[in-house]
Amino acid sequence: MLDFDGVTKWFGPVMALDRCTFSARPGRLTGFLGPNGAGKTTAMRAVFGLVELDQGAVRWHGAVVGPADRARFGYMPEERGLYPRMRVRDQLVYLGQLCGRKPGDVDRSVGAWLERLGLADRAADRLDALSHGNQQRVQLIAALVNEPDLLVLDEPFSGLDPIAMGAMAGLLSGLAARGATVLFSSHQLDLVQDLCQDVVIIEHGRIVLAGELAELRATVPQRFVDIRYRGPAPDWSRLAPATVLEAGDGAARLRVGGDADVAAVLAAVRDRADLVSFSYQPPTLSELFRQAVAA
Amino acid sequence: MTGVRQAWLVARREMRERSRSRAFQASVVFLIVGVAAMLILPVLLKPSSTRDVGVTGAVPATLAAAIAGQAQAAGITARVHPYAILAAGEQAVRQGQVDVLVAGARRLEWKSKPDEQLKAVVTGAIQLATVRERAAAAGISPGALAALLAPAPVTNVQLGSVAGRSPGDEAAVLVMTAVLFFGISVYGQMVLTGVLEEKASRVVEVLLARIPARALLAGKIGGIGLLGLAQTGVTALAALVAAAAVRSAGVPAVRGPVLAWALVWFVLGYALYATVYGALGSLGSRVEDAQAVAGPVTVVMVVAYFASFTTIGQPDSVFARAISCFPLTAPMAMPGRIAMGAAAWWEPVAAAALTLAAIAGLVQLAGRVYARAILHSGPALSLRDIWRGKAAPGPGPSGAGTREVGPPRPAGVTAAGRTTMTGSDPARRRALITVLTGTGVVVGMAVAVLTADVIIGIAAGAGFIAVANQMVRLWTRHTGPPAAHR
Repeated sequence: MLDFDGVTKWFGPVMALDRCTFSARPGRLTGFLGPNGAGKTTAMRAVFGLVELDQGAVRWHGAVVGPADRARFGYMPEERGLYPRMRVRDQLVYLGQLCGRKPGDVDRSVGAWLERLGLADRAADRLDALSHGNQQRVQLIAALVNEPDLLVLDEPFSGLDPIAMGAMAGLLSGLAARGATVLFSSHQLDLVQDLCQDVVIIEHGRIVLAGELAELRATVPQRFVDIRYRGPAPDWSRLAPATVLEAGDGAARLRVGGDADVAAVLAAVRDRADLVSFSYQPPTLSELFRQAVAA
Repeated sequence: MTGVRQAWLVARREMRERSRSRAFQASVVFLIVGVAAMLILPVLLKPSSTRDVGVTGAVPATLAAAIAGQAQAAGITARVHPYAILAAGEQAVRQGQVDVLVAGARRLEWKSKPDEQLKAVVTGAIQLATVRERAAAAGISPGALAALLAPAPVTNVQLGSVAGRSPGDEAAVLVMTAVLFFGISVYGQMVLTGVLEEKASRVVEVLLARIPARALLAGKIGGIGLLGLAQTGVTALAALVAAAAVRSAGVPAVRGPVLAWALVWFVLGYALYATVYGALGSLGSRVEDAQAVAGPVTVVMVVAYFASFTTIGQPDSVFARAISCFPLTAPMAMPGRIAMGAAAWWEPVAAAALTLAAIAGLVQLAGRVYARAILHSGPALSLRDIWRGKAAPGPGPSGAGTREVGPPRPAGVTAAGRTTMTGSDPARRRALITVLTGTGVVVGMAVAVLTADVIIGIAAGAGFIAVANQMVRLWTRHTGPPAAHR
């Protein structure tokens, strides 16, 4: 369990992190969201002691994170980079050894990961001889060579094609299923909604929303009704107590209170239109995010 | 895992990867071939020591033997060729078959300008043969004549400029000081570019998530240092082998203790300058920033080298004593004084202790600068930025989108200074530089008076001004174009 406990960081007169408190739990994927410059990268660097904190602490299983813990962590920074002229296998083994693992174990891990990500035949090549996509894979292995208990990834999905995105999502889910704690930042909110059990939203250095995604969505006192229909557009405004968000040709999106009677809403809609489909949902992560950040 | 073990892993990577690079392998080969060639070629290309002397006309019977004898005394071999007629002899001179023609024992004929050494040899031989002839005519026995003509032994001594040390020693010390300077600066700059490369390629963030900044810097300095020692050692070995092969007198006898001290000072000097280079390297963003961020140190090193260089002839002067104890100059100034026999036993020991203390202090400072600057991206930083803790990590303008929060700040947060010396400072900066330049002139004059040497005074004053200006630049920076974001 990773805990941020009142983490505060100043850069000169600028407050980059303002008493941040949240957790990431083992066996789960935690999405770390926020606009650019909100403090995501600084917070992730704090886990690895890359910024000196002014106040608060990052804890792992209750104790302040130390070098011995970090040897069991994996990190993929937002600014990707390895030694361009070093051979792929050599540099992965080197990074694994820096975590204090035995050379034999590191060798086995590196071999297995290269095999799994389809890079086994490029192991002896210099990094800069690889394609961009393959370099990204090597970067990912660099975070995994010590078979980490905690994986922190800064924008792991940025710059990936849809296939690679799917592979990355599968890999992260697999690691979480094996008990790892996974915290990653992303701007792809739909993907995070599908993938993550927990989310943390940061804005201006402050945590504005954190917790289990399903719970956060459920506790919002609004529900959204999506309707598809045939025929002419009816006058949705009479459909009290719903608010019309969008109304177009053959589709509409309405907002109703969380305590609204679903059956009553459905009946009211059927009275007015030739219904094709009807869905009644809590807000999407995008909506939660926009609300939280705008507040 | 301890920091020492991590530093060793870093050092091992430096040695392995660098020794694999083509450029490094080429430099090793180039140095070995270059040094061997410098020692062997002069011997191979040395002009032949054999001379051909033509003889024609009436000459004393003993002349040929006298020429051979005189030539041997002068360290050359002379072959004598008799010519029946003058024209044949002159033809041989013109065609270069003989170097000189002795015509009738009274005239020497050359193709062009006389070879002074051969002229002395042949003239001496003619004098000798003539004296023998006259002695025989005067009835003096050859035995008595030999006794009369036996030469009184004369020895030549080269005093050099320091008692007890020869010009050969001075030459050896010049070479040693130059090797120290180039060694420290080449391997120190490898640390500089190495740090910049790691920062520019962004691999440094991956590394620092696993090991402390100090272990990374220490490992890099250690690895490059060991590699430097190995390369210097291999080159020195090549020099010794080459010298032994040609039995060259080009390598003066170098004493063991002097070599041991030179090694100690190489290690100390490298440790000191590499630490500074490593810290300054972290201030830049791209490999192209290397000279901009490290220029001041390079100037200090060059000044230290020239200061050491000027004291080789006067290793006892106050100036020499001062710079051989000052940590920034000691690594290049002290070995020369030791070799010239000018340093009392305790002087190098005290200077080494001082330098070690300076290194310890610099390691603390450098570790701080490095840890703060290494994750900063954007334009190159100045030392003042580091001092004020402005180095913000992250891409783009630091802290974009974050709130500007004024006081009051939470307890425990020290109020960092506001950026006071930004736009309005060119005037202040000019004033500072003027004051420093004035101080430099005063320092130069004071040194000139103290050492009673105008040249050393000018050198000291100019050195002070150069170093002071560079320090101001390092502190305030913001010259040069801003680094591009990636």
